[in-house]
Amino acid sequence: MSTSNQSDSQTGGTGPSGVDPVPVTFIETSFAIKPLRNIMGDVAGLLGESLMALLLMFYPPPICKKANIVISELVTNVLENICDPESGFVLKLSIGAERLLISVQNQVPKETADRVLARVEKIYSSGDPRRLLAETIRERRQSRLKGGLGLLRLVAENKFTISTEYQDGLLTVQADYRLESLP
Amino acid sequence: MKVLTFGEIMEGGGTVFSSVTSIDSEQLLVTFKGVVRIDNPYRHLSPYLTALGEQLPAASLTSTSIDFTELRFCNSNGFYIIMDIIEIIYRSTTGPVKVRRLKEDDWQQETLPILLNLDEDEIANRTSFEDVAEI
Repeated sequence: MSTSNQSDSQTGGTGPSGVDPVPVTFIETSFAIKPLRNIMGDVAGLLGESLMALLLMFYPPPICKKANIVISELVTNVLENICDPESGFVLKLSIGAERLLISVQNQVPKETADRVLARVEKIYSSGDPRRLLAETIRERRQSRLKGGLGLLRLVAENKFTISTEYQDGLLTVQADYRLESLP
Repeated sequence: MKVLTFGEIMEGGGTVFSSVTSIDSEQLLVTFKGVVRIDNPYRHLSPYLTALGEQLPAASLTSTSIDFTELRFCNSNGFYIIMDIIEIIYRSTTGPVKVRRLKEDDWQQETLPILLNLDEDEIANRTSFEDVAEI
């Protein structure tokens, strides 16, 4: 894990004196856990809550909550769809003046990756992710279907841009939020 | 104030989520507190749903207040149980419903209206929001 203050051109406001600008804090961290079969507790919740607590020292709560939800949803996706219990996952987070970037990478067969890719494609082809979220929640509620909402939620609710990459058996799902789009 | 019924999710010997339904004069007060992170919240909250369905219709109520401001996190698995609780409340009561929610919370601003089913005119007409700043 690393933290550093970025250049003067990336500032987060005015210091207590009202004169000196406060440099934006850059944070970058990465966690790898392997094998997945050893995970018994709520690792997704632990990572989400603890990284949110760290970010809260430097960033406003709405941004930190976004990080918590992304970490919780992406890590939960990995843990609820384990293909190889001997494999692991890698969580990366970086935040600075312009963006919050979070990715989770794990090993999956091609058919699983195709399903995730198709889900992301459906979100963006819908044109109205929030409407799609509403429809999907109502549809899935009828049969109490688990899952299927996480990625959609990150786009519709938390305003992240989701991208995916599948290479050498490793699926990477990345969530990107531009900080200047905060109200 | 009289507590009508409550439900909770316990983990590791402690309460991580609770919902309390109480009556103050003729107002129904429903609070949600904590976090919903578990895989299957119905395992813990089914008795609460049953109690709500049995007790609410018999209560004499003129208005309702539902408070989400202390619900810190709700995973996707928690959506349906929230919808079920809300549905019972709207079905079993008449009169206005005030929903207290956090002003700067993506879930409470974006997804909660979906779970409340505000697309239905009858529900929308009864519902108003009070947006509360987080302390």
